Amino acid sequence: MTLAELVAAHRVVISAGSGGVGKTTVAASIALWGALQGRRTVVMTIDPARRLASSLDVGALGAEPREIPATAFAAAGLHPPGTLSAMMLDQKGAWDALVERHAPAEAVPRILRNPFYQHLSQTFAGSQEYMAIEQLCVLVESQAWDLIVVDTPPTRHALDFLEAPRRLGDFLDRSIVKWFIKPYFSAGWSALRAVNRSVGFLLRRLEQATGVSALIEISDFFNNMSGLFENFQARVDRAYQVLRGPETAFVLVTSPEEQVLGDAEYLTAKLGELRIPLAGVVMNRVHREFRPATRRAEKRAEVGPEDVDEVVRVVAGALGDAMAEARELARNFADYQALARGESLRIEQFRTELPRRIPLVTVPNYARDVHDLAALAAMHAALFGAPPPAAA
Amino acid sequence: MPVTTPLLERRLHFVVGKGGVGKTTIAAALAEILARQGRRTLAIEMDVAGRLPVMLGAPGPARVPEAVAANLFVLSLDGQAALEEYLGLVIPVRRLLSTVFASRIYQYFVAAAPGLKELMTIGKIWFEATREEHGRPVWDAVVVDAPATGHGLQYLRMPRAARETFGAGLVQREATRVAALLEDARTTAVHLVTLAEEMPVAETLETQAQLREVLHLPQGWVIVNRMHYRQFDDALLRRLAEGSVRLPPEDAALVRCVLERASEESGWAAINAHYLGRLRAALAGVPVVELPFLFVEEFGRDTLARLSRLLEAAIRQPAEAVAERWS
Repeated sequence: MTLAELVAAHRVVISAGSGGVGKTTVAASIALWGALQGRRTVVMTIDPARRLASSLDVGALGAEPREIPATAFAAAGLHPPGTLSAMMLDQKGAWDALVERHAPAEAVPRILRNPFYQHLSQTFAGSQEYMAIEQLCVLVESQAWDLIVVDTPPTRHALDFLEAPRRLGDFLDRSIVKWFIKPYFSAGWSALRAVNRSVGFLLRRLEQATGVSALIEISDFFNNMSGLFENFQARVDRAYQVLRGPETAFVLVTSPEEQVLGDAEYLTAKLGELRIPLAGVVMNRVHREFRPATRRAEKRAEVGPEDVDEVVRVVAGALGDAMAEARELARNFADYQALARGESLRIEQFRTELPRRIPLVTVPNYARDVHDLAALAAMHAALFGAPPPAAA
Repeated sequence: MPVTTPLLERRLHFVVGKGGVGKTTIAAALAEILARQGRRTLAIEMDVAGRLPVMLGAPGPARVPEAVAANLFVLSLDGQAALEEYLGLVIPVRRLLSTVFASRIYQYFVAAAPGLKELMTIGKIWFEATREEHGRPVWDAVVVDAPATGHGLQYLRMPRAARETFGAGLVQREATRVAALLEDARTTAVHLVTLAEEMPVAETLETQAQLREVLHLPQGWVIVNRMHYRQFDDALLRRLAEGSVRLPPEDAALVRCVLERASEESGWAAINAHYLGRLRAALAGVPVVELPFLFVEEFGRDTLARLSRLLEAAIRQPAEAVAERWS
């Protein structure tokens, strides 16, 4: 299967990988391809990729999908038969919307200021990831999209993204939440102590030691949000249905650097454990290796310090002497050869550990920042093997 | 004029930066420099992934300080464990925590106290940085590989935030001591690692402003990693392209490739030069240090040693001299 077939066969494409590998760019390029194939496409990004947003000509990305205007495509020489919309995950906004939906109107402002809620919604490990998946479910349920491309949060291990719903589900487990809901807490400490003397003692010590009086806040939050937690487990289950479903494809974005590949191997193994199959791999920022066509020249692929002289000789021949320049050009070539050789060994090694049916495409290390529609379209040759028909 | 100490002589070094810029590598290189100078150095990673210890030669994450070379030790911090250790000290009845219900309640408490875990992690770093045995400090230098920028700043922000927002209690007293150490330009420096490309530079400028204006932490070096310097003249490349026509086919193929690599390098060098200029202009007065891109097949221990020598040379002399050497 090729990456083009893979994208054609799925409705949801999730791009995962560690930070700094060009995940957002790859996600945007795949989404653009979808639009050029005639699909109604939306790309959701988590990173505030401001420059990408401005190059897509959608102004500031918001929590609502915003369609890229035809004029922006035309300016890049593109005429997609489909559409492309972009949106950015607004984590705080999404959580606040949940509160507004579930809490009594008079309690909403208080909940929004509640430190426990603020921590849960903004800094609790996995809450951003959870909201990304919640948003994904909303997009999946809507009939407006043929292709949904998701750029996952920049976590060190993209795995956090997959475990977030379960972790949050455990955290908001009803059996524990109910302890925080009336009547135990609303009646204050005495009621709690009656329930469990040692727990009351423990909590009081915690409060004294830390100077944090959090219990009232926890209690207030859960009391007002009980509706949300009633069906929270169902939402978590739904999220995994989408993640594991047949219409979703996980695409790993990585680069051939040692450390990044280490993370990628770890993620691949963990995906298996979570029963979420990896569908494809995009190896980004790859340096090309020079592989001579004929046997005689084969030695030059292995350009070590001693072979640079041979390259210098050829280059100087073409330049008509100019030895100093020839030497500099040859040294630069040899440097890139060393880099490319290391990368291709690592990619080969990585490839052998992947099931054969999984497509792996390599994208060259462009000597430019990829940040406009034309540059995103230029990636299609590497990703999908052919320029998109509409761009021809 | 506040009292300061030359950056390299400070005791506590934080290395901060966006994901994928080589932050961990730079932290490792800095730790090697300090250890080479004969200072007993502890390199700390702020999670238990083990990347920094492994890079410095340990088999995996190090739960306690572990020696990896002469004068060089590594430690992996686990925020959750640090917090539990601390609360274990203040709650005498530890067995209470063992009942499932109590430990769940405790989990909520931890979640509800924003930043407590981060504060305890920083507290643990403070503990190591100030620890004494037989009347003298255990470590001459501590290098911390902080989490990627956004999250890393959260840690550095905590002591100050806690000092201001937590009620009177042990935590507030602790936070006050930690904050005092972090803000002391005689002992502490926060170094920023970046690349001379658009997004990393934008993020570095934001972080630097935060450090200076909001967090009031002592500014260290801004280390610009992976610089490309070779800029090949267009006329030269044209001459080479024209000259290659006369060559036999396999030589012509080689020259085409030489040309491609030359324009690739020139392209990056131009991008790097542009954004380095922008960074320097915006950071007048801040020491900006450059490191070259290293072309290696595999980034091994020898590459790290080479990088740490380059870093040492770069921080000892004006950055312009380094750039010249590489141009």
